[in-house]
Amino acid sequence: MAEDTEWQPKIVMFCCNWCSYGGADSAGMGRFQQPPTVRVIRVMCSGRMDPVFILNAFLEGADGVIFSGCHIGDCHYVSGNYKATIKYKFLKAMVNELGLEDERLKLDWISASEGERYANVVKEFTEQIKKVGPSPLKPEGVV
Amino acid sequence: MEIGDCYIGWATDEEIRSKGASGGLVTAMLAAALEKELVEAVVVLKKLGEFEAIPIVTSDPEEVKAAAGSMHSVPIVLSRYLEYGTKVALPAKPCDARATIEQAKRQQVNLDTTYIIGLNCGGTMHPAVTRKMLETIYKLDPEEIAGEEIDKGKLIFETKDGKEHAIKIDELEEEGYGRRESCQYCAINIPRMADLACGNWGVIGDLAGKGTFVEVNTEKGIEILQNAIDSGAVEITPADEKGKAIREKVDSAMQKVAASAHAKYLAPIEGSHLDYYMNTLSDCINCGACKTVCPVCACGEAAKCTDFYSQALGYKMSLFHLVRFVHLMDSCIGCGQCTDVCPVDIPLTHLYRRFAEPLQEEFDYTPGVDMRTPPFFGVDLIED
Repeated sequence: MAEDTEWQPKIVMFCCNWCSYGGADSAGMGRFQQPPTVRVIRVMCSGRMDPVFILNAFLEGADGVIFSGCHIGDCHYVSGNYKATIKYKFLKAMVNELGLEDERLKLDWISASEGERYANVVKEFTEQIKKVGPSPLKPEGVV
Repeated sequence: MEIGDCYIGWATDEEIRSKGASGGLVTAMLAAALEKELVEAVVVLKKLGEFEAIPIVTSDPEEVKAAAGSMHSVPIVLSRYLEYGTKVALPAKPCDARATIEQAKRQQVNLDTTYIIGLNCGGTMHPAVTRKMLETIYKLDPEEIAGEEIDKGKLIFETKDGKEHAIKIDELEEEGYGRRESCQYCAINIPRMADLACGNWGVIGDLAGKGTFVEVNTEKGIEILQNAIDSGAVEITPADEKGKAIREKVDSAMQKVAASAHAKYLAPIEGSHLDYYMNTLSDCINCGACKTVCPVCACGEAAKCTDFYSQALGYKMSLFHLVRFVHLMDSCIGCGQCTDVCPVDIPLTHLYRRFAEPLQEEFDYTPGVDMRTPPFFGVDLIED
Protein backbone atom coordinates (compact mmCIF):
# COMPACT_ATOMS: atom_id res chain seq x y z
CA MET A 1 0.00 0.00 0.00
CA ALA A 2 1.06 3.56 -0.73
CA GLU A 3 0.78 4.73 2.89
CA ASP A 4 3.21 2.11 4.11
CA THR A 5 6.11 3.26 1.99
CA GLU A 6 5.68 6.91 2.89
CA TRP A 7 8.26 8.19 5.33
CA GLN A 8 6.84 8.75 8.80
CA PRO A 9 8.61 11.26 11.00
CA LYS A 10 9.50 10.52 14.59
CA ILE A 11 8.24 13.21 16.91
CA VAL A 12 8.95 13.46 20.60
CA MET A 13 6.28 15.28 22.54
CA PHE A 14 6.71 16.35 26.13
CA CYS A 15 3.36 16.78 27.87
CA CYS A 16 2.76 18.24 31.29
CA ASN A 17 1.00 15.97 33.74
CA TRP A 18 -1.90 18.31 34.51
CA CYS A 19 -3.03 19.64 31.14
CA SER A 20 -1.47 18.30 27.97
CA TYR A 21 -1.22 14.68 29.13
CA GLY A 22 -4.90 14.91 30.02
CA GLY A 23 -5.44 16.45 26.59
CA ALA A 24 -3.85 13.40 24.98
CA ASP A 25 -6.19 11.26 27.04
CA SER A 26 -9.28 13.18 25.94
CA ALA A 27 -8.12 12.95 22.31
CA GLY A 28 -8.14 9.17 22.71
CA MET A 29 -11.47 9.08 24.53
CA GLY A 30 -13.06 11.38 21.98
CA ARG A 31 -11.64 9.16 19.18
CA PHE A 32 -10.06 12.05 17.33
CA GLN A 33 -7.92 10.61 14.53
CA GLN A 34 -4.21 11.47 14.61
CA PRO A 35 -1.09 10.16 12.91
CA PRO A 36 1.00 7.62 14.90
CA THR A 37 4.15 9.74 14.72
CA VAL A 38 4.26 11.07 18.24
CA ARG A 39 6.01 9.52 21.22
CA VAL A 40 4.65 11.16 24.33
CA ILE A 41 6.82 11.68 27.38
CA ARG A 42 5.08 12.87 30.50
CA VAL A 43 6.75 15.50 32.66
CA MET A 44 5.23 16.98 35.77
CA CYS A 45 5.23 20.52 34.42
CA SER A 46 6.29 22.29 31.23
CA GLY A 47 8.65 24.24 33.49
CA ARG A 48 10.47 20.96 34.13
CA MET A 49 11.55 20.90 30.50
CA ASP A 50 15.28 21.16 30.32
CA PRO A 51 17.06 22.21 27.12
CA VAL A 52 19.10 19.01 27.57
CA PHE A 53 15.96 16.89 26.95
CA ILE A 54 15.24 18.58 23.67
CA LEU A 55 18.83 18.62 22.42
CA ASN A 56 19.17 14.99 23.39
CA ALA A 57 15.96 14.10 21.55
CA PHE A 58 17.34 15.65 18.36
CA LEU A 59 20.68 13.90 18.75
CA GLU A 60 18.97 10.57 19.36
CA GLY A 61 17.13 10.92 16.07
CA ALA A 62 13.91 12.85 16.63
CA ASP A 63 12.71 14.72 13.56
CA GLY A 64 10.71 17.16 15.60
CA VAL A 65 10.06 18.04 19.21
CA ILE A 66 6.92 19.57 20.68
CA PHE A 67 6.67 20.61 24.26
CA SER A 68 3.38 21.48 25.67
CA GLY A 69 1.78 22.51 28.93
CA CYS A 70 -1.14 24.31 30.51
CA HIS A 71 -2.31 27.62 29.07
CA ILE A 72 -0.57 30.71 30.41
CA GLY A 73 -2.08 31.56 33.77
CA ASP A 74 -3.41 28.03 34.33
CA CYS A 75 -0.19 26.37 35.45
CA HIS A 76 -0.67 23.90 38.29
CA TYR A 77 2.59 25.21 39.75
CA VAL A 78 1.70 28.90 39.20
CA SER A 79 4.59 29.96 36.96
CA GLY A 80 5.96 26.77 35.36
CA ASN A 81 4.79 27.64 31.88
CA TYR A 82 6.36 31.09 32.07
CA LYS A 83 9.65 29.33 32.69
CA ALA A 84 8.91 27.08 29.73
CA THR A 85 8.42 30.17 27.56
CA ILE A 86 11.87 31.45 28.45
CA LYS A 87 13.49 28.11 27.75
CA TYR A 88 11.64 27.96 24.46
CA LYS A 89 13.11 31.33 23.46
CA PHE A 90 16.59 30.04 24.25
CA LEU A 91 16.05 26.84 22.30
CA LYS A 92 14.52 28.67 19.37
CA ALA A 93 17.55 30.96 19.13
CA MET A 94 19.78 27.90 19.51
CA VAL A 95 18.04 25.92 16.76
CA ASN A 96 18.10 28.91 14.42
CA GLU A 97 21.81 29.53 14.87
CA LEU A 98 22.63 25.85 14.70
CA GLY A 99 20.97 25.62 11.31
CA LEU A 100 18.26 23.13 12.18
CA GLU A 101 14.98 24.08 10.52
CA ASP A 102 12.88 26.38 12.63
CA GLU A 103 9.82 24.15 12.10
CA ARG A 104 11.27 21.24 14.05
CA LEU A 105 10.60 22.78 17.44
CA LYS A 106 7.20 23.83 18.70
CA LEU A 107 5.73 25.04 21.94
CA ASP A 108 1.99 24.75 22.38
CA TRP A 109 -0.52 25.09 25.19
CA ILE A 110 -3.11 22.31 25.40
CA SER A 111 -5.50 21.96 28.32
CA ALA A 112 -6.92 18.66 29.60
CA SER A 113 -10.29 19.21 27.92
CA GLU A 114 -8.86 20.06 24.49
CA GLY A 115 -8.72 16.57 22.99
CA GLU A 116 -9.55 17.79 19.51
CA ARG A 117 -6.96 20.52 19.70
CA TYR A 118 -4.36 17.95 20.77
CA ALA A 119 -5.14 15.81 17.73
CA ASN A 120 -4.97 18.87 15.46
CA VAL A 121 -1.61 19.97 16.85
CA VAL A 122 -0.21 16.48 16.23
CA LYS A 123 -1.68 16.39 12.70
CA GLU A 124 -0.38 19.81 11.73
CA PHE A 125 3.03 19.26 13.21
CA THR A 126 3.41 15.91 11.47
CA GLU A 127 2.57 17.53 8.12
CA GLN A 128 5.06 20.27 8.83
CA ILE A 129 7.84 17.77 9.60
CA LYS A 130 7.00 15.69 6.55
CA LYS A 131 7.61 18.80 4.45
CA VAL A 132 11.07 19.51 5.93
CA GLY A 133 12.13 15.86 5.87
CA PRO A 134 14.35 13.78 8.15
CA SER A 135 16.51 15.64 10.67
CA PRO A 136 20.14 16.18 9.66
CA LEU A 137 21.17 15.38 13.23
CA LYS A 138 19.76 11.84 13.05
CA PRO A 139 22.52 9.35 13.89
CA GLU A 140 23.64 6.80 11.29
CA GLY A 141 21.37 3.79 11.19
CA VAL A 142 18.39 5.40 12.91
CA VAL A 143 15.26 5.43 10.75
CA MET B 1 34.13 62.24 47.45
CA GLU B 2 31.04 61.09 45.62
CA ILE B 3 30.04 58.40 43.19
CA GLY B 4 30.71 59.55 39.64
CA ASP B 5 33.65 61.79 40.57
CA CYS B 6 36.79 61.67 38.45
CA TYR B 7 40.31 62.22 39.78
CA ILE B 8 43.90 61.95 38.73
CA GLY B 9 45.88 60.05 41.34
CA TRP B 10 49.41 58.85 41.92
CA ALA B 11 51.51 57.03 44.50
CA THR B 12 53.41 59.20 46.95
CA ASP B 13 56.24 56.65 47.11
CA GLU B 14 58.62 57.65 44.28
CA GLU B 15 59.75 54.08 43.66
CA ILE B 16 56.21 52.79 43.15
CA ARG B 17 55.34 55.84 41.10
CA SER B 18 58.14 55.27 38.61
CA LYS B 19 57.87 51.50 38.52
CA GLY B 20 54.10 51.20 38.28
CA ALA B 21 52.23 51.87 35.10
CA SER B 22 51.17 55.55 34.93
CA GLY B 23 51.81 56.71 38.46
CA GLY B 24 51.47 53.48 40.44
CA LEU B 25 48.07 54.49 41.87
CA VAL B 26 46.64 50.99 41.75
CA THR B 27 49.71 49.36 43.31
CA ALA B 28 49.77 51.93 46.11
CA MET B 29 46.04 51.52 46.72
CA LEU B 30 46.32 47.74 46.95
CA ALA B 31 49.31 47.88 49.27
CA ALA B 32 47.58 50.47 51.48
CA ALA B 33 44.43 48.33 51.67
CA LEU B 34 46.54 45.43 52.95
CA GLU B 35 48.54 47.56 55.38
CA LYS B 36 45.43 49.16 56.87
CA GLU B 37 43.74 45.73 57.01
CA LEU B 38 40.86 46.81 54.80
CA VAL B 39 41.39 43.51 53.00
CA GLU B 40 42.99 40.16 53.91
CA ALA B 41 44.33 39.36 50.49
CA VAL B 42 45.12 40.96 47.17
CA VAL B 43 45.29 39.40 43.74
CA VAL B 44 48.29 40.54 41.71
CA LEU B 45 50.09 39.36 38.62
CA LYS B 46 53.42 37.67 39.09
CA LYS B 47 55.68 38.11 36.11
CA LEU B 48 56.93 34.86 34.61
CA GLY B 49 58.67 36.48 31.69
CA GLU B 50 58.32 39.43 29.40
CA PHE B 51 55.16 37.99 27.86
CA GLU B 52 53.54 36.04 30.59
CA ALA B 53 52.16 36.57 34.08
CA ILE B 54 50.10 34.48 36.44
CA PRO B 55 47.60 35.78 38.99
CA ILE B 56 48.64 35.08 42.57
CA VAL B 57 46.95 35.76 45.88
CA THR B 58 49.10 37.46 48.46
CA SER B 59 48.85 39.13 51.86
CA ASP B 60 52.31 40.65 51.72
CA PRO B 61 52.36 44.38 50.80
CA GLU B 62 55.96 43.99 49.59
CA GLU B 63 54.88 41.39 47.06
CA VAL B 64 52.14 43.74 45.87
CA LYS B 65 54.68 46.50 45.38
CA ALA B 66 56.98 44.11 43.52
CA ALA B 67 54.17 43.35 41.07
CA ALA B 68 53.85 46.98 39.95
CA GLY B 69 53.60 47.56 36.22
CA SER B 70 51.05 46.32 33.74
CA MET B 71 51.04 42.89 32.14
CA HIS B 72 48.89 40.95 29.74
CA SER B 73 46.87 38.34 31.51
CA VAL B 74 43.81 36.21 31.04
CA PRO B 75 40.67 36.81 33.14
CA ILE B 76 40.74 35.72 36.72
CA VAL B 77 38.36 33.12 38.06
CA LEU B 78 38.40 34.55 41.54
CA SER B 79 36.19 31.90 43.11
CA ARG B 80 38.81 29.21 42.35
CA TYR B 81 41.47 30.91 44.43
CA LEU B 82 39.60 32.12 47.44
CA GLU B 83 37.02 30.99 49.90
CA TYR B 84 33.64 32.68 49.75
CA GLY B 85 33.61 35.88 51.76
CA THR B 86 37.37 36.48 51.92
CA LYS B 87 38.03 40.20 52.02
CA VAL B 88 39.96 40.75 48.85
CA ALA B 89 40.95 43.49 46.44
CA LEU B 90 41.76 42.74 42.85
CA PRO B 91 42.85 44.82 39.92
CA ALA B 92 40.59 43.85 37.06
CA LYS B 93 40.29 44.38 33.34
CA PRO B 94 36.66 44.80 32.19
CA CYS B 95 36.38 41.06 31.53
CA ASP B 96 37.82 40.24 34.99
CA ALA B 97 35.31 42.57 36.60
CA ARG B 98 32.43 41.13 34.60
CA ALA B 99 33.53 37.57 35.40
CA THR B 100 33.64 38.45 39.10
CA ILE B 101 30.15 39.97 39.00
CA GLU B 102 28.80 36.92 37.16
CA GLN B 103 30.38 34.71 39.83
CA ALA B 104 28.71 36.81 42.50
CA LYS B 105 25.34 36.12 40.86
CA ARG B 106 26.12 32.41 41.19
CA GLN B 107 27.03 32.73 44.89
CA GLN B 108 30.69 32.00 44.17
CA VAL B 109 32.02 35.39 45.23
CA ASN B 110 30.70 37.81 47.83
CA LEU B 111 30.75 41.26 46.25
CA ASP B 112 30.36 42.95 49.64
CA THR B 113 33.84 41.80 50.59
CA THR B 114 35.40 42.14 47.15
CA TYR B 115 36.93 45.40 46.02
CA ILE B 116 37.24 45.46 42.24
CA ILE B 117 39.69 48.03 40.97
CA GLY B 118 38.96 48.24 37.27
CA LEU B 119 41.68 48.91 34.72
CA ASN B 120 41.12 50.24 31.23
CA CYS B 121 41.92 47.65 28.63
CA GLY B 122 42.46 47.83 24.92
CA GLY B 123 43.09 44.13 24.53
CA THR B 124 45.55 41.46 25.59
CA MET B 125 47.95 39.27 23.69
CA HIS B 126 48.52 35.54 23.83
CA PRO B 127 52.08 34.80 25.01
CA ALA B 128 52.77 32.01 22.51
CA VAL B 129 51.36 34.01 19.59
CA THR B 130 53.41 37.03 20.65
CA ARG B 131 56.61 35.00 20.63
CA LYS B 132 55.85 33.68 17.18
CA MET B 133 55.01 37.19 15.97
CA LEU B 134 58.34 38.50 17.26
CA GLU B 135 60.23 35.78 15.45
CA THR B 136 58.40 35.92 12.13
CA ILE B 137 57.25 39.54 11.71
CA TYR B 138 59.55 41.62 13.88
CA LYS B 139 62.50 39.27 13.26
CA LEU B 140 63.57 39.69 16.88
CA ASP B 141 64.68 37.21 19.49
CA PRO B 142 61.87 37.00 22.11
CA GLU B 143 64.48 36.72 24.86
CA GLU B 144 65.91 40.11 23.91
CA ILE B 145 62.71 42.06 24.57
CA ALA B 146 62.80 44.54 27.43
CA GLY B 147 59.44 46.28 27.12
CA GLU B 148 56.28 46.71 25.13
CA GLU B 149 53.80 49.49 24.60
CA ILE B 150 50.99 50.57 22.34
CA ASP B 151 51.09 54.09 20.99
CA LYS B 152 49.13 55.76 18.17
CA GLY B 153 47.93 52.45 16.76
CA LYS B 154 51.39 50.94 16.72
CA LEU B 155 52.70 48.05 18.76
CA ILE B 156 56.19 48.94 19.93
CA PHE B 157 58.72 46.47 21.30
CA GLU B 158 61.85 47.70 22.98
CA THR B 159 64.88 45.45 22.89
CA LYS B 160 67.54 45.23 25.59
CA ASP B 161 69.93 47.34 23.51
CA GLY B 162 67.44 50.24 23.78
CA LYS B 163 66.13 50.18 20.21
CA GLU B 164 62.42 50.46 19.46
CA HIS B 165 60.65 48.38 16.85
CA ALA B 166 57.19 49.56 15.82
CA ILE B 167 54.62 47.97 13.51
CA LYS B 168 51.01 49.05 13.00
CA ILE B 169 48.56 46.90 14.93
CA ASP B 170 46.16 46.78 11.98
CA GLU B 171 48.83 45.16 9.83
CA LEU B 172 49.67 42.64 12.53
CA GLU B 173 46.04 41.71 13.02
CA GLU B 174 45.62 41.33 9.28
CA GLU B 175 48.29 38.62 9.51
CA GLY B 176 46.53 36.91 12.42
CA TYR B 177 48.86 38.21 15.13
CA GLY B 178 48.47 40.99 17.65
CA ARG B 179 45.68 40.93 20.18
CA ARG B 180 43.47 37.93 20.93
CA GLU B 181 40.57 37.72 18.51
CA SER B 182 38.00 38.16 21.27
CA CYS B 183 39.84 41.30 22.47
CA GLN B 184 39.75 42.77 18.99
CA TYR B 185 35.97 42.89 18.95
CA CYS B 186 35.42 43.53 22.66
CA ALA B 187 33.71 46.92 23.00
CA ILE B 188 34.00 47.35 26.76
CA ASN B 189 37.22 49.23 27.43
CA ILE B 190 36.42 51.21 30.57
CA PRO B 191 35.32 48.98 33.48
CA ARG B 192 32.43 51.10 34.79
CA MET B 193 30.94 47.99 36.45
CA ALA B 194 33.95 47.83 38.81
CA ASP B 195 34.24 49.84 42.03
CA LEU B 196 36.87 52.11 40.53
CA ALA B 197 37.74 52.58 36.89
CA CYS B 198 41.43 53.41 36.50
CA GLY B 199 43.62 53.99 33.48
CA ASN B 200 45.95 56.37 31.74
CA TRP B 201 43.41 57.68 29.23
CA GLY B 202 42.60 61.31 29.96
CA VAL B 203 45.78 62.10 31.89
CA ILE B 204 47.20 65.18 30.20
CA GLY B 205 49.78 67.92 30.72
CA ASP B 206 52.54 67.53 33.32
CA LEU B 207 50.92 64.47 34.81
CA ALA B 208 50.94 62.42 31.59
CA GLY B 209 52.60 59.09 32.32
CA LYS B 210 52.88 59.98 36.02
CA GLY B 211 49.24 59.86 37.06
CA THR B 212 46.26 57.57 36.75
CA PHE B 213 42.76 58.71 35.82
CA VAL B 214 40.29 57.22 38.26
CA GLU B 215 36.50 57.27 38.13
CA VAL B 216 34.65 56.36 41.33
CA ASN B 217 31.71 54.04 40.63
CA THR B 218 30.55 52.70 44.00
CA GLU B 219 30.66 53.24 47.77
CA LYS B 220 33.29 50.51 48.01
CA GLY B 221 35.36 52.42 45.49
CA ILE B 222 35.24 55.51 47.73
CA GLU B 223 36.23 53.36 50.71
CA ILE B 224 39.37 51.86 49.17
CA LEU B 225 40.50 55.13 47.57
CA GLN B 226 39.87 57.15 50.76
CA ASN B 227 41.75 54.50 52.75
CA ALA B 228 44.80 54.94 50.54
CA ILE B 229 44.60 58.76 50.81
CA ASP B 230 44.22 58.64 54.60
CA SER B 231 47.24 56.38 54.97
CA GLY B 232 49.29 58.80 52.89
CA ALA B 233 50.10 56.34 50.12
CA VAL B 234 48.20 58.18 47.42
CA GLU B 235 47.52 61.76 46.38
CA ILE B 236 44.69 62.85 44.13
CA THR B 237 43.57 65.93 42.29
CA PRO B 238 40.22 66.40 40.54
CA ALA B 239 40.34 65.63 36.83
CA ASP B 240 39.60 68.51 34.49
CA GLU B 241 36.93 68.52 31.82
CA LYS B 242 39.47 68.30 29.01
CA GLY B 243 40.89 65.07 30.44
CA LYS B 244 37.42 63.57 30.76
CA ALA B 245 36.63 64.48 27.16
CA ILE B 246 39.86 62.90 25.93
CA ARG B 247 39.10 59.71 27.88
CA GLU B 248 35.66 59.52 26.26
CA LYS B 249 37.19 60.13 22.85
CA VAL B 250 39.74 57.33 23.26
CA ASP B 251 36.95 55.03 24.44
CA SER B 252 34.66 55.78 21.50
CA ALA B 253 37.56 55.44 19.04
CA MET B 254 38.36 52.00 20.52
CA GLN B 255 34.71 51.03 20.28
CA LYS B 256 34.65 51.95 16.61
CA VAL B 257 37.67 49.76 15.95
CA ALA B 258 35.99 46.95 17.89
CA ALA B 259 32.82 47.31 15.84
CA SER B 260 34.69 46.92 12.56
CA ALA B 261 36.58 43.89 13.93
CA HIS B 262 33.23 42.50 15.03
CA ALA B 263 31.82 42.88 11.52
CA LYS B 264 34.89 41.13 10.14
CA TYR B 265 35.10 38.16 12.51
CA LEU B 266 31.43 37.56 13.20
CA ALA B 267 30.15 37.98 9.67
CA PRO B 268 27.19 35.69 8.88
CA ILE B 269 28.16 32.10 8.11
CA GLU B 270 28.05 31.29 4.42
CA GLY B 271 26.40 28.04 3.52
CA SER B 272 24.96 25.55 5.96
CA HIS B 273 25.26 26.54 9.60
CA LEU B 274 24.96 22.93 10.67
CA ASP B 275 27.87 21.81 8.49
CA TYR B 276 29.95 24.68 9.79
CA TYR B 277 29.34 23.77 13.43
CA MET B 278 29.73 20.03 12.84
CA ASN B 279 33.05 20.51 11.03
CA THR B 280 34.40 22.98 13.55
CA LEU B 281 33.50 20.81 16.52
CA SER B 282 34.54 17.53 14.94
CA ASP B 283 38.13 17.99 16.17
CA CYS B 284 37.00 18.07 19.80
CA ILE B 285 38.84 15.54 21.96
CA ASN B 286 36.44 15.97 24.87
CA CYS B 287 39.07 17.18 27.31
CA GLY B 288 36.71 19.61 29.05
CA ALA B 289 39.31 22.36 29.37
CA CYS B 290 36.91 24.99 27.98
CA LYS B 291 34.48 24.25 30.79
CA THR B 292 37.21 24.22 33.42
CA VAL B 293 38.47 27.71 32.60
CA CYS B 294 35.09 29.29 31.93
CA PRO B 295 34.66 32.11 34.47
CA VAL B 296 30.85 32.17 34.25
CA CYS B 297 30.38 28.41 34.71
CA ALA B 298 29.82 27.54 38.35
CA CYS B 299 28.49 24.02 37.83
CA GLY B 300 31.50 22.20 39.24
CA GLU B 301 32.50 18.63 38.44
CA ALA B 302 29.05 17.14 37.92
CA ALA B 303 27.26 19.22 35.33
CA LYS B 304 24.56 18.75 32.75
CA CYS B 305 27.01 19.12 29.89
CA THR B 306 29.19 16.23 31.07
CA ASP B 307 26.78 13.94 32.92
CA PHE B 308 24.51 13.10 30.01
CA TYR B 309 27.13 12.83 27.35
CA SER B 310 29.61 10.21 26.30
CA GLN B 311 31.50 10.03 23.03
CA ALA B 312 30.44 6.39 22.82
CA LEU B 313 26.89 7.53 22.01
CA GLY B 314 27.95 8.30 18.45
CA TYR B 315 25.95 11.51 18.10
CA LYS B 316 26.55 13.71 15.09
CA MET B 317 27.31 16.63 17.35
CA SER B 318 28.64 16.68 20.86
CA LEU B 319 25.87 17.15 23.44
CA PHE B 320 28.55 18.62 25.67
CA HIS B 321 28.98 21.56 23.31
CA LEU B 322 25.27 21.99 22.60
CA VAL B 323 24.52 22.20 26.30
CA ARG B 324 27.36 24.64 26.78
CA PHE B 325 26.01 26.77 23.94
CA VAL B 326 22.63 27.04 25.64
CA HIS B 327 24.28 27.53 28.99
CA LEU B 328 26.42 30.42 27.79
CA MET B 329 23.85 32.07 25.56
CA ASP B 330 22.88 34.52 28.26
CA SER B 331 26.13 34.54 30.21
CA CYS B 332 29.10 34.50 27.83
CA ILE B 333 31.25 37.58 28.49
CA GLY B 334 33.52 36.81 25.55
CA CYS B 335 36.74 36.65 27.57
CA GLY B 336 38.42 34.27 25.15
CA GLN B 337 39.87 31.77 27.60
CA CYS B 338 38.15 28.76 26.03
CA THR B 339 39.88 29.46 22.72
CA ASP B 340 43.20 29.93 24.52
CA VAL B 341 43.14 26.60 26.29
CA CYS B 342 41.68 24.44 23.51
CA PRO B 343 44.37 21.86 22.65
CA VAL B 344 42.96 21.33 19.14
CA ASP B 345 42.46 25.03 18.38
CA ILE B 346 38.69 25.14 18.08
CA PRO B 347 37.70 28.84 18.06
CA LEU B 348 35.27 28.30 20.92
CA THR B 349 34.83 31.92 22.00
CA HIS B 350 33.87 32.71 18.44
CA LEU B 351 31.23 29.97 18.46
CA TYR B 352 29.86 30.99 21.86
CA ARG B 353 29.58 34.59 20.71
CA ARG B 354 27.61 33.53 17.64
CA PHE B 355 25.04 31.88 19.85
CA ALA B 356 25.10 34.46 22.63
CA GLU B 357 24.80 37.71 20.73
CA PRO B 358 21.34 37.33 19.18
CA LEU B 359 19.92 36.17 22.50
CA GLN B 360 21.61 38.80 24.66
CA GLU B 361 20.21 41.35 22.25
CA GLU B 362 16.73 39.84 22.38
CA PHE B 363 16.65 40.01 26.16
CA ASP B 364 18.54 43.31 26.22
CA TYR B 365 20.95 41.75 28.68
CA THR B 366 24.66 42.38 29.03
CA PRO B 367 26.24 39.89 31.41
CA GLY B 368 28.51 41.13 34.15
CA VAL B 369 27.66 44.82 34.14
CA ASP B 370 25.12 44.77 36.95
CA MET B 371 23.42 42.31 39.30
CA ARG B 372 20.45 41.60 37.00
CA THR B 373 19.44 37.92 37.08
CA PRO B 374 20.40 36.05 33.91
CA PRO B 375 17.27 35.81 31.68
CA PHE B 376 17.28 32.00 31.87
CA PHE B 377 16.34 32.25 35.55
CA GLY B 378 14.45 35.51 35.52
CA VAL B 379 10.71 34.88 35.30
CA ASP B 380 8.66 37.87 34.30
CA LEU B 381 5.08 37.20 35.35
CA ILE B 382 3.60 40.20 33.60
CA GLU B 383 2.21 39.20 30.26
CA ASP B 384 3.23 41.35 27.32
